[in-house]
Parts: sequence; C-alpha cells; structure tokens
Amino acid sequence: MKIVIVGNSVAAINAIEAIREKDKISSVAVVSDENYRAYSHPLLPNLVIGEVSRSEDRFYYRRSDFYQKNKVNAILGKRVVKINPKSKTIELDNTEKVEYDKLLLACGGKPAKPPIDGLELEGVHTLTNIKGADKLRKDLKNINHCVVVGAGLIGSKVAEKLAKKKVKVTLVELARRVLFPVLDDKGADFIHKELKRLGVNLILNDSVKALDGSNRVEQVVLNSGKRIKADGVVVAVGVSPNIDLAKDAGLKVDKGVVVNDYMQTSDESIYAAGDVAQAYDVVYGSKRPIPILPLAARQGRTSALNMLGMDVKYKGGFPMNSITIGKTSFISMGIVDSDELEILSFERDGEYRKFLIDEDNRLKGMILVNNVEKAGMFNWMIQNKFDVSWIKDAFLNSDFGWKYFNKAFRVLRLDRKIK
Amino acid sequence: MKIVKIREDNCIFCHLCEVACIVEHSQSKDIIKAFKREEKPIARCSVEFNYPVSLSVMCRHCDDAPCVEACQNGSMHRDDRGYVVVDADTCVGCWMCIMACPYGVIKRDTRRESWGLSTKCDFCPDREIPACVEACPNEALTLEEI
Ligand SMILES: Cc1cc2nc3c(=O)[nH]c(=O)nc-3n(C[C@H](O)[C@H](O)[C@H](O)COP(=O)(O)OP(=O)(O)OC[C@H]3O[C@@H](n4cnc5c(N)ncnc54)[C@H](O)[C@@H]3O)c2cc1C
Ligand code: SF4
Ligand code: SF4
Repeated sequence: MKIVIVGNSVAAINAIEAIREKDKISSVAVVSDENYRAYSHPLLPNLVIGEVSRSEDRFYYRRSDFYQKNKVNAILGKRVVKINPKSKTIELDNTEKVEYDKLLLACGGKPAKPPIDGLELEGVHTLTNIKGADKLRKDLKNINHCVVVGAGLIGSKVAEKLAKKKVKVTLVELARRVLFPVLDDKGADFIHKELKRLGVNLILNDSVKALDGSNRVEQVVLNSGKRIKADGVVVAVGVSPNIDLAKDAGLKVDKGVVVNDYMQTSDESIYAAGDVAQAYDVVYGSKRPIPILPLAARQGRTSALNMLGMDVKYKGGFPMNSITIGKTSFISMGIVDSDELEILSFERDGEYRKFLIDEDNRLKGMILVNNVEKAGMFNWMIQNKFDVSWIKDAFLNSDFGWKYFNKAFRVLRLDRKIK
Repeated sequence: MKIVKIREDNCIFCHLCEVACIVEHSQSKDIIKAFKREEKPIARCSVEFNYPVSLSVMCRHCDDAPCVEACQNGSMHRDDRGYVVVDADTCVGCWMCIMACPYGVIKRDTRRESWGLSTKCDFCPDREIPACVEACPNEALTLEEI
C-alpha cells in the first residue's frame, strides 16, 4: 500500500509511528512545505529570544534518524497544491505528482488574519512556524516597543518572552482577561500579575483597529481611539485550519476538515488529523477543531491505524493546556467557566483549584494553578465521563490523590484492569 | 511486561520505597551522601496516607502512554526495554505529560536553572529488580506481569 501524508508535524509523526508498529512494508511518504524535520511548535517563543537554538535536539519533535529508521520518504520543502481524489494523486508545487492509496491530511493551521489595516507593514509578525520565528528573531534588533495582539496561548507566551528579553511590550486583548477560553477571572488574575511583574503593559477590553507607518509600523491604533507608539507588532489572534486543499478537492469541510469517528473524511481514501481536522469534542458533545498538540498526536495515531484497516474509534478529546508564565504554572481543561454547572473552588497561598460538574455528576472541566501534579487524574475522569458523586468532596484537597478513592476501584485502576 | 504491583493491604506507611528510590537515583547511590551532601533526587514513588489506607504509587508504564502522546518534543518516550522514561537532556518542563498522565504520578523538579524536569519512575534501568520493590520489607510492592 502507498500511504502519503501532507504535513510533517505532530499528527504526521504519530501516524508514521503507528503505521510502523503494525506495518513495515507499505511505503510511506510525507510532504511538507517546511524544509526541516518535525519540531516543537511550543518552543517557538523560546527560539525567538534564543533560549533554545535550532542546533539543539530539544527543539525537535523526534531525533534526526527518525525518517530513516521508519523508512519514510520525506519530501521536504515542497508544497502540495492539489489533491485529485479520482486519480488518487496529489500535485506538488514543482508539478511533480505523487500517487496514494491512502492519504492523510495533517497540514495543520495558519495564523488567523484579523480585520486590521496595515498588516503588510514591515515589523509586523506572526508566530506559528520556524519561518515566522526566524523573521521575528532577526527583527528584534529593530524593535524597542512591541505590541502583541491577542492574549491567547501564543500571544501571552510571546509577551512574556519578549519582556524577559527587555523589549518593552504592550499586550492587547479584546476580552476582559488573558487566556480567555482556558482560564476564568480568578485564574487569569494570577497571569495578569505575572505579566505585570515582568513589565508587560496589559490592555484588556480593547482591540487593534489599524497599524500606521510609512514603511515600517510606527503606531498602533486601538478601537478605543488610544494610540501606541510601536516599532514591532506580533499578531496572535489564533489559528485557523488549512482547509483549502480539502475544500478544492470536494471534501466536506466546515471550520476544519470534517471527519467521522475513524478520522476519515468524506472521501474514504482520505483521512485528516490534528489542527486541520474537525473531530469530536467529548465535553461539548459536538465536532470542532481543537488545535492542541496532544490531540494532534492521538488523532494522528488513530487515523493511521484506520488507514491500515484496523477499525479504531477516536473517542474524542477536549481542550487542555499546561502553561507557565513567569513563576505561575497552571493546567486547565474542558469547560472552565459556566453559570449552569456546579462549581467547586478553593484558593489559598497561591494555589487555586476549580472543578465544574454537571447535573449527572460528570466532571466537565477544571483549573489547577500551581499545584498541578494530579491534573491528569481529572483528565481521565472527564474523558471517561466518570461519576464523581462519591469523590468530588475530595477534589478541593491540596493533597488529592489515590488515597481518597474507593478501594475496589483504586485497586482495579492501579492494576490496569480499568483503562 | 512486568510492572510494580501495589499491594496496599501490606503497606505500613514506612516510606522505605521512597528512600530506596532517592538513593537509586542519586549521583553516588550512597544513602548518606544522597540525603545530606548531594542534591537530593525526588522520589519517583509517593506514599499516600489516609487512615486506614496507605499505599505507594508510581508510574504504571501504560501501553498507550498518554504522557508520551502529550510530550511536545519526544522527551517522554518508551525505551528499548519498553518502559516509559524521560530524556533529562531534552525535557523542557512544560508539564504537558503531567496534564495527560491518568495516574497523576509525574512530579516536577524545578531546581534546574533553565528548564524544569519531569520526574517519574524509570523502572530502574541499572537494576534487575526496581529499588522500591527490593526495599519494601513486607511485599507491599512486588514485581509482576500485568
Ligand atoms: C507558538 C506555538 C505554541 C504552541 N504551544 C502549544 C502548547 O503549549 N500546547 C499545545 O497543546 N499546543 C501548542 N501549540 C499547538 C500545537 O503546536 C499544534 O496543535 C500542533 O503542532 C498541531 O500539529 P499538526 O500536526 O496538526 O499540524 P502543524 O504542527 O500545524 O503542522 C502542519 C504542517 O503542514 C505543513 N503544510 C500545511 N499545508 C501544506 C501543504 N499544502 N503542503 C505541504 N505542507 C503543508 C505546514 O507547513 C506544517 O509544517 C502551539 C502552537 C504554536 C504555533
Ligand atoms: S507516567 Fe503516567 S501516563 Fe505515563 S506511562 Fe506512567 S502512568 Fe502512564
Ligand atoms: S515536561 Fe518534559 S517530558 Fe513532560 S511533556 Fe514537557 S518536555 Fe515532555
């Protein structure tokens, strides 16, 4: 069988690993427009300020012998421009054609473009790949005051790193708090304090209307009318799935490429996984793209097993994040703010715990600030729709752990008899 | 594959497994030096107590290891023996593995200068029998095929 993968990142690499665990014979080709081996996107902000370099192993997602070891034909630096589902071929930007029996779309997302005038000015950056990171890194010598647009995961991280590098940073966020979808007001306050301590100027409830300058950006104009002098801008308002290839090929797309429970698109020979895919969210109970690394990995594996004909269902995922800004670490997952769900929360001595539970006693989401080590136990409960009625009283204990569970259940779990 | 079986009925909350783990993961593997002179390692097993329950918990070496899936740069990986271990040279302390581990058995070591270090049971690569199992005086931890 000929398996071809578009994209060479988290979803692709996990697909390759799953394929090679089961099948040493099929040919596997991976095509990416980026001319490097797979790397760690979360380290891009570190790369910008030189905390990590491209010569270090820790920057990469797998070791350099990965492709050779897994017998993968890595076609790097080439863009896939077209999929022909009828003839089962893809076309590359050098007019080369590659045939497939099964095709995996693992082409991720691209930075969302907000409606802001002046995005084409010099000194305006995005940060979702090495190219963007290199451009920003080289431009740092020209930047004294940087405006970061959007305080999501990438924006907050970039703001932190630039401030650490002694760049003057203003972080502008439309919502009333940073990291809006992954923290509540109380949790976000921890991060607000850290950012301020690092010297970041935080502007909430406002957004950027236009960037002014003749050649290079000189000024940022906010919706409130406020004007900020700036010689650098990082736009980080989110990512949107790269659906164009799939759309042009006539596959069913919505916000992302629509897949069934087996990560298969509307064409039975084509699968999709990772940031590009619109897969099942177990917390919301509907399909939507969730652009996070652990899910890209799981979906990559699942899609690969199904390409090999193994019938493995994707059980669904939900948003989850582990972030450290300054000295504050937090892990949050699922729904983090709600008026309808039962809420248990606790705050003391720099620790914050919050749990959101529905009327059927199923955990729907949680936040842990600073005391995070047991976070994965809650992850398991959300994923498995575990009945928490008899254990939830212990959730707020800082020393939450196995000792609070019912013995029979604990023994079965620890013996790996219940997955 | 063999893992450490936890027999909580035999556990008497003596913490000897933790002591043995600390010594095994120390530079000198000498108990006095490990506790008093060198940087003391963090125990990979944790003894929990909630009267009358007490038990030592450590990595279950899952076959579908969610921690490996969640790791951002391959630091958390399966070694040649089939056990799940961290590459300390590349770990960046992002705690994504902690977010994913369904057993809550990964700890944070934040003492390194530039990167945090994810710390978990490595199934004692230098030993036949893991140190905790050998140290437990009453077989509350045993080595078994699961
Ligand atoms: C700065 C930053 C920080 C992040 N931090 C975190 C974090 O802390 N935690 C977390 O869970 N997630 C984080 N993420 C998100 C995480 O990196 C993604 O979820 C993950 O990389 C998705 O993997 P993927 O394989 O789906 O796609 P991607 O990693 O997006 O890779 C897709 C690849 O396909 C290539 N491609 C696209 N179109 C084509 C084409 N037509 N032809 C050829 N190649 C193509 C792209 O160039 C790219 O190399 C972060 C992302 C960024 C950018
Ligand atoms: S650290 Fe946790 S997730 Fe990883 S193998 Fe051990 S028990 Fe499983
Ligand atoms: S803390 Fe280290 S081992 Fe854990 S996910 Fe991050 S890089 Fe990987």
